[in-house]
Amino acid sequence: MKARRTNALIWGWTLFVLVAIYLPIVCGALASFNKSRYFGFPIKVYSTEWWSKTIDSIEIGMIVKTSISVALLVTLFSVVIATFGALAFARYDWKGRRLYQKLILLPIFFPQPVLGLAMLLGFNAVGIQTSWMTAVFAHMVWIVPVVTLVIAIQVYGFDASLEEAAFDLGCSRVQVFREVTLPLLWPGIWSGMLFAFLLSWSNFPLSLYTTGADSTIPEWLYAKMVAGYTPMVPALGTMATLGAAALLLTGGLVGLLVRRRAAA
Amino acid sequence: MADIALAPAAESPAQLRLARRLSAGARCAIPVALLLGIGFLAPLMAIFGYAFATPRSFDVFRSFTLENFATLFDPANTVWVSFVWSCGLALTTVAILAVVAYPIAYGLNVVFGRWSPFISVLFVFPLFVSENVRLYGWVLFYIKNGVLDGTLKWLGLSGGPEVLFTPGITLFGMVYTYLPFMLFPMTLGLALVPRDLIDAARDLGAGRLFIWREIELPLAMPGILIGMLLTFVLAIGATAEAKILGGQSIIVISHDIEIAFTYSQNWPLGSAMAVVVTFFIGGLTLFALSKLDLDRMLGRR
Amino acid sequence: MLQTLPAGAPGAETPAAPILQLVGVRKTFGGFTAVQGIDLDVREGEFLTIVGPSGSGKTTLLRMLAGMDTPSEGNITLHGELINDIPPNRRPTCLVFQSLALFPHKSVGENIAFPLKVKGVDAAARKARALELMRVVRLPEDYFDKNVMKCSGGERQRVALARAFAYDPEVLFFDEPLSALDYKLKKALEKELKDLHRETGKTFIYITHSLEEAMVMSDRIGVMRAGRLVQVGTPEEIYGAPVDRFVSEFVGEVNTIRVKREADGGWAGVDVPGRFTLAPPRDGTALDEAFVVVRPEFMRFLGPGDSADNRLEGIVYNEYSLGSRIQYQIRVDAGAAGEKVFLVELSRSRALPPGTDRAVTLGWDAADAFTLGS
Repeated sequence: MKARRTNALIWGWTLFVLVAIYLPIVCGALASFNKSRYFGFPIKVYSTEWWSKTIDSIEIGMIVKTSISVALLVTLFSVVIATFGALAFARYDWKGRRLYQKLILLPIFFPQPVLGLAMLLGFNAVGIQTSWMTAVFAHMVWIVPVVTLVIAIQVYGFDASLEEAAFDLGCSRVQVFREVTLPLLWPGIWSGMLFAFLLSWSNFPLSLYTTGADSTIPEWLYAKMVAGYTPMVPALGTMATLGAAALLLTGGLVGLLVRRRAAA
Repeated sequence: MADIALAPAAESPAQLRLARRLSAGARCAIPVALLLGIGFLAPLMAIFGYAFATPRSFDVFRSFTLENFATLFDPANTVWVSFVWSCGLALTTVAILAVVAYPIAYGLNVVFGRWSPFISVLFVFPLFVSENVRLYGWVLFYIKNGVLDGTLKWLGLSGGPEVLFTPGITLFGMVYTYLPFMLFPMTLGLALVPRDLIDAARDLGAGRLFIWREIELPLAMPGILIGMLLTFVLAIGATAEAKILGGQSIIVISHDIEIAFTYSQNWPLGSAMAVVVTFFIGGLTLFALSKLDLDRMLGRR
Repeated sequence: MLQTLPAGAPGAETPAAPILQLVGVRKTFGGFTAVQGIDLDVREGEFLTIVGPSGSGKTTLLRMLAGMDTPSEGNITLHGELINDIPPNRRPTCLVFQSLALFPHKSVGENIAFPLKVKGVDAAARKARALELMRVVRLPEDYFDKNVMKCSGGERQRVALARAFAYDPEVLFFDEPLSALDYKLKKALEKELKDLHRETGKTFIYITHSLEEAMVMSDRIGVMRAGRLVQVGTPEEIYGAPVDRFVSEFVGEVNTIRVKREADGGWAGVDVPGRFTLAPPRDGTALDEAFVVVRPEFMRFLGPGDSADNRLEGIVYNEYSLGSRIQYQIRVDAGAAGEKVFLVELSRSRALPPGTDRAVTLGWDAADAFTLGS
């Protein structure tokens, strides 16, 4: 049948694109197991030498610590701000809502390298020394809008009369928020947290201009790609990717388990 | 957490009164508004200030000159070449991505069924891997003695084509990097087309192409437009593709801005370029967004 | 009869030739059978309504008739031609969706003219025909350019109808299109739909879970249950001669008494003590156990000296006003089983004096009750 052939084509095309998307990640992983310093394919001698060197490196350890600190702080702050941002976006009807919905998208629709430079200028103008802490702020400017959208999607599916019912049953505003709003929005907030962490973890253009003397993983990788390639570059890249995958998988599983338990 | 936000920024009695007068929605918007005011608008103002400062100086807000803009629009300068390259690459990226992503977005909505969420995650995940890492993977794939070249030689063929460090590979990199930004808005857009309407149109005698043109495409348009806008804007600002894959065979506009800020230490000139780009992008974005109903896109009613 | 009549010819006795015929139509989804073995002849020009509770398979049946699903087994023929695999866009049939499926990005006029645009009719002729159809469904002419999403519920209904007529189908299907409307509008549109059926002379197949709706509009009603057509007949047949308890209860409230045959050939109550006189089952089967089903409006209160085939003593527990009629809830002492509740419905002019807890005698005649085997 005609429809079946179309569906097969769509499946085929999607799988082809997926293979293309993961191909470079696989290439990086291959390169990290190359014993020789310079990449050549097929790989003559495989070794985990560069992986152990990467893990043992003190410099890389500090960079990883910086990346994790930035991502954790970004996650914490972003999720709080974005939860309320999402309520303003999707839950309440208020005068400035339409405008607010559009303005909040602007940072997403803005080229990150230019945004990073602008912030560097801004920090410079008010005399703030850039460090990994200014990078936290810079990441938030871009990540809060994204997380707001992620949570807003959950808020749209949220029945506002539940809050009213809780009010009616005698809850205070704070109790309504804690007992009804937060638990119902939890799946959205959870995905928002994952997004926040992972987007900060992988961000390069904003970090480049706003970390000052500190360095995050993507920055270090870029510096070594431009000058000073060793297989430690793909090794650390692959580790960062695996870390992100592990976090996404755990996060997804936890979310699923919590929902299962709630449903049971 | 609740207390912080339910009385945001309510320190003095005057502020408290203001907060009382604001509706619940406005109060919830305050933290985001503050963040974007300080983190987004203020830096743009700083750039704006620098753009009118004396070239090669740091006299922001103390000098006023249009010299930077004059330099920018001087035909002897090569900035416009970068701008044309960026626009051209961005437009081509958008066109290619629309064609690449449409069947996948359609599949996610109609064909993949219970596989859909899993496939979506597979498309999201690369966003969590730094674009440097992914683009460098392509370098390893296409480079001489790399994965492609090496495999072909191993098979006894003459080896891979030399595609690295050309404008073509820069375009390829952009299409690769920005696929999710086209795919997801498009998928959302297609999800807005009720299956009932397709059934009804078919029942009224319409063929596939007719339905696509008259029903599916117009109704999915908001999502498709957002996708196009997003990818266009991101591609205009892209630098990593041109630097890592393109090997600086072409200079894109964001790269020019970076050079002005770093190597040439001419912040006012860089700022003037950034101001032009900002106005171009901001105007385009606000114009397109004003046409869209975000409540409908994201699911209210 | 050796002579064949032309299709649709008026004949007092002979029904019109079937336009749509279903033979052994089944539909399974995975392991679940939604529709199991349906045989049905639809006569040309009739208004046939399929009723059934949700999940009875009526929507699946309709989707197969409209071509949006394919039967797993069996044949659907239109004018004697097999149409099982003909896609909906090549069938001369049209479905009015429950959601109405109006195109939100098109005006009222564009919606109505859509099937004409599909056929390649030029713009001027499209507009003329759309305006003509708007008159038929009683939509004002200046609605032509109105945004269809700005129309009221009743107006949208009319747009959907006009669009279906624009396709000029031989058979129109309706999937509960009135279910979202308020009661008054619904009642008005039911009558309008019946008028339109008369005016256009098309075959209408209507699906609903509301028997009330079916009764008002239909020439014939088919009752579905668990994927089967339990009974097909005129509204009078469905109401007056249900084939089983399911149909009898679906049609309206009923009083049911379980009875079994005694040695002397008479019937004794199982859940209520006493002996009862029964009309023989309509299908003539011999039964040892049966159910007596009496509608509340066929029950009456007996005064001293009144006679009836059957009688029961009880106490008035509650009374409900139904407007022009009054319904009484009567508790009858059922011995070991405790109490059994009976309903009696009377017109207001024959009502009891107000007040509950009064002792009454209920009565009904055998001819007013049905005897059902299941």
